[in-house]
Amino acid sequence: MAAPLAAATASNVLTRVRKILQSFAGPIFAVVLAMVAGSIVIIVTTPGSIPVRLSSAAAAYQALLYGAFGNGQNLSFTLTTVTPLILASISVALSFRARLFNIGAGGQLAMGGMTAGVIGFELPHSPGWVLIPLMIVGGAVAGAIWGGIAGFLKAWRGAHEVVTTIMLNWIAFFFTDYLINGPFQSPHTANQTEPIPAQATLPHISDFYNHTLGTFLPQIANPQQYIADVGFFFSLFALVVYWFIISRTTFGYEVRVIGENPKAAHYAGIPIKRNIFLVMAIAGAFSGLAGALQLMGQFPYQLIATTFSTQSTGFDAIGVALLGRTTSIGVLLAALLFGGLRQGGTYMQAFAGVPGDLVYIIQALVLFSIAAEFLTAIQRSLHRRSISRRSGLSPSVIAAAVAALPGTPADREDGALPESTTLASSSESSVSPIEED
Amino acid sequence: MLFFQVLFRVLQSSDLWNATLGFAALLLLPALGGLISERSGVVNIAMEGMMLTGAYAGVMSALATQSVFGGLMGAMVAGGLMALVHAFISINFKANQIVSGIAINLAALGLTNFLLFVQTGGQGVPSLKDSLRLPNISLGPISHIPFIGPVFFQQNIIFYVAILILIGIQFMLFHTNIGLRIRAVGEHPQAADTAGVNVYLVRYLCVISSGILSGLAGAFLSLGIAGIFNSDMTAGVGFIALAAMIFGKYTPWSTGVACVIFGLGEALSIRLQDSGISPDLLSTVPYILTLIALVGLIGRTTPPAADGVPYYPGSE
Repeated sequence: MAAPLAAATASNVLTRVRKILQSFAGPIFAVVLAMVAGSIVIIVTTPGSIPVRLSSAAAAYQALLYGAFGNGQNLSFTLTTVTPLILASISVALSFRARLFNIGAGGQLAMGGMTAGVIGFELPHSPGWVLIPLMIVGGAVAGAIWGGIAGFLKAWRGAHEVVTTIMLNWIAFFFTDYLINGPFQSPHTANQTEPIPAQATLPHISDFYNHTLGTFLPQIANPQQYIADVGFFFSLFALVVYWFIISRTTFGYEVRVIGENPKAAHYAGIPIKRNIFLVMAIAGAFSGLAGALQLMGQFPYQLIATTFSTQSTGFDAIGVALLGRTTSIGVLLAALLFGGLRQGGTYMQAFAGVPGDLVYIIQALVLFSIAAEFLTAIQRSLHRRSISRRSGLSPSVIAAAVAALPGTPADREDGALPESTTLASSSESSVSPIEED
Repeated sequence: MLFFQVLFRVLQSSDLWNATLGFAALLLLPALGGLISERSGVVNIAMEGMMLTGAYAGVMSALATQSVFGGLMGAMVAGGLMALVHAFISINFKANQIVSGIAINLAALGLTNFLLFVQTGGQGVPSLKDSLRLPNISLGPISHIPFIGPVFFQQNIIFYVAILILIGIQFMLFHTNIGLRIRAVGEHPQAADTAGVNVYLVRYLCVISSGILSGLAGAFLSLGIAGIFNSDMTAGVGFIALAAMIFGKYTPWSTGVACVIFGLGEALSIRLQDSGISPDLLSTVPYILTLIALVGLIGRTTPPAADGVPYYPGSE
């Protein structure tokens, strides 16, 4: 009795492991492909003989890796980038679950950061225990409003969220620049505000540890060199919240149904419009939180004009959400990778002489690879070739066989594609959320 | 009111309107590019990146060939190549066109900065000498007509090119066979395919055209207006063009009008600085107008029916 049962469980586990591994294959392939292509860029652009070129590519990647995760200090630098990136990526990932494309994370982040700053400037004498929660909540609310506008316009006016969020981004960038260059400009320096009140800043993780656990455990020496702030824990907590919303609440369930089959959602009586609005508002809240925590956690604790429009977090977040397949754990891993690339790039430029902008190229290639599903395409063409080799079938039979493969065009076309005829309706596969979280 | 006095004075100067039309031409080229691409059913939010690539390639090839013409060619080829990538990924691989567009923008930013660093050893390119810049052209005697002359007929050469392209695209889209095919492919590719139109080919050509036009605009920016290449020098112009295209409801004439309105905003934001109104606030106006247009308060904007939907040959 027990033996077949154990065998069945084992095979269940095996299938599950295989499924998980399969879901990792695409993202890992994308990253590897992008890294290889990036090294080719270095090899092509470096002067010198072939061995010199190869070794400079190797040195560049070594510096990239070391700069990202090589020692405690570099890791702490990376974490400062990762914190807002995780939050913005949750924002994008959540909207993907409802088949909405939130390109507006950057603008929502700007509004969140600005609002947190304004609260700090207006209440300079309040104690930290009032200011910190107030600024965090204020940032989230501002982001929620900014995202909610796009959600509202989508739900009740049918305006496509991609276009509205792009417009809202630039409105946010210029509006925050206006506030930074105008009403809240520092009396001492142009184009920036004063720092937020000292009691409103978040402590570094190292200091925080030394003052809490460190009182009876070993202390961290030179805590000031590890600049990652406790905002990172907020972002980890946000990942848990995101997981909980999506897989343990009615709202999350409704969102997933809307994302995977809007028609079914409609017939099941799920309030689609209200949920679209809510998804965009909650997504905006996460991005707004990113802006607030970024301001409160990191030197110079002030707002500087044009930083929001030049900061690429909002777009990086799209890559992270896609690479992480919109799951909590995936977003965490992908954000560590992208944040690491960003920090490592700076280090690489300083110590290996290869411009850190290479990182943008790598990110772009990751996006291309995920969007185009290169791995699936290759597998499909290999499959096609092996069929034709094995039996020497005629092309028409092969075409029929290929059409029968899961995930092939003919198969997908039966899905929701024909109805999604509005601007930029996503090709399902590239952004479709996967089942297990 | 000081502000209105300044505004009134500024609105009367031919300088302002000359600059307005200059900006409008800069916006018009990528906006028309985007329009062509979206009319054929491929969403293009990558005009920004294609412009940036064009701006960089324009300067580099102008320096290499020591001729403006070489620079223009380089810019258009580079923009076209970026568009080719977008077309390949979107059409053949049926990728999400928004993601592909974002990737193009990121790639353009990375690639231009990377190459700028590598090719100039981190020094940046020097300002171009006048012989390598796109010249302003005065059109003979009509350029001396008071007010109208300086506004319309003392513009950069690309301005006149942009006007010709606008007329050409309007005519092509609505009065020729090719235009009918483009619109058919964008509205109902299955029907177009049945009627014998090569959907892939039309889409490829349209997307590549959008890259060439954006590249040309990039050259206008670097070789014409600025005379230098700076990192990320497009700074959102490609997105204003996107806004103009949507505000113009995907039709050439209206897009042209939108470009003039947005160009006026841009020109005003520079000239009204001492009147107390913030240039940053003025810069938000194009986007707010576009949002209002999207919501339907100024006549609803509707994209082509098959915009953004990959085409699978042989599907129903």
